[in-house]
Amino acid sequence: MSDKTIEVNLVNQLGYERIAMACSASFARMMGLPPERIEDLKTMVSEAAINAMEHGNKGRPDARVTVSLDCRDNTINVTVMDEGDGIKEFPPKPDIEKIIEDLESPIGFGLFLISQLADQVEFNQVTDAGHVVKMAIKMNS
Amino acid sequence: MQQHSNQINMEQRGAITLFDIRGDLTSFSEPFLSEAYQNANEQGAAKILLKIEKEAYINSGGIAALIQILAQSKRNNQNIGITGVSDHFKKIFSMVGITRFADIHESVENALEVMS
Repeated sequence: MSDKTIEVNLVNQLGYERIAMACSASFARMMGLPPERIEDLKTMVSEAAINAMEHGNKGRPDARVTVSLDCRDNTINVTVMDEGDGIKEFPPKPDIEKIIEDLESPIGFGLFLISQLADQVEFNQVTDAGHVVKMAIKMNS
Repeated sequence: MQQHSNQINMEQRGAITLFDIRGDLTSFSEPFLSEAYQNANEQGAAKILLKIEKEAYINSGGIAALIQILAQSKRNNQNIGITGVSDHFKKIFSMVGITRFADIHESVENALEVMS
């Protein structure tokens, strides 16, 4: 962890992801990320935190979600950690045609958006402390 | 904190039923959108315009709730438009495919003109 790392420890309750979004946006503004990419970062952080609350921590009210950000090598790095043991089965990329025809459930949008918006993403990093999703967004992308 | 409810005011503008949606679009929005849609459908709405607040927070749960409305409207041969969304969410709606089933309009006035 560098001396410029910030960390936000969230209550495991839907809605609290917005605190992480706001902190991420402030941090990214300080680092000089362009406004349109700040919006992308906010969505990435929000969706990763929601997944951590709902799937990683399985909605447990006593669990926590930790979001960390740092800026190195012209890149903002984000980690979102929950107390679960990782994603066992990734949902398929959501196919809106099939969802509209009621052939698929409307799930998987969070992971899909993260993978579309991040310059780099690593799911399923399981450590002693918990399950971590790592995302990166380049300053000039 | 996150709003767990929406206020949806329905208004008839010529042939178009306008849903003025107040609040964030999240998984909590699903019953509110669904109830408004059922009411409009029962009243024979053929064209529906969803007006979202520019500053609304929209997450994947809200996207799923919107898509459920699009699915029902397709089954009922209704035309759906969306207005009020920021540039960021226009991009997000395009990424997930919402724009294949609903046109995004710059303003209510523009939508009323195009959809009429």
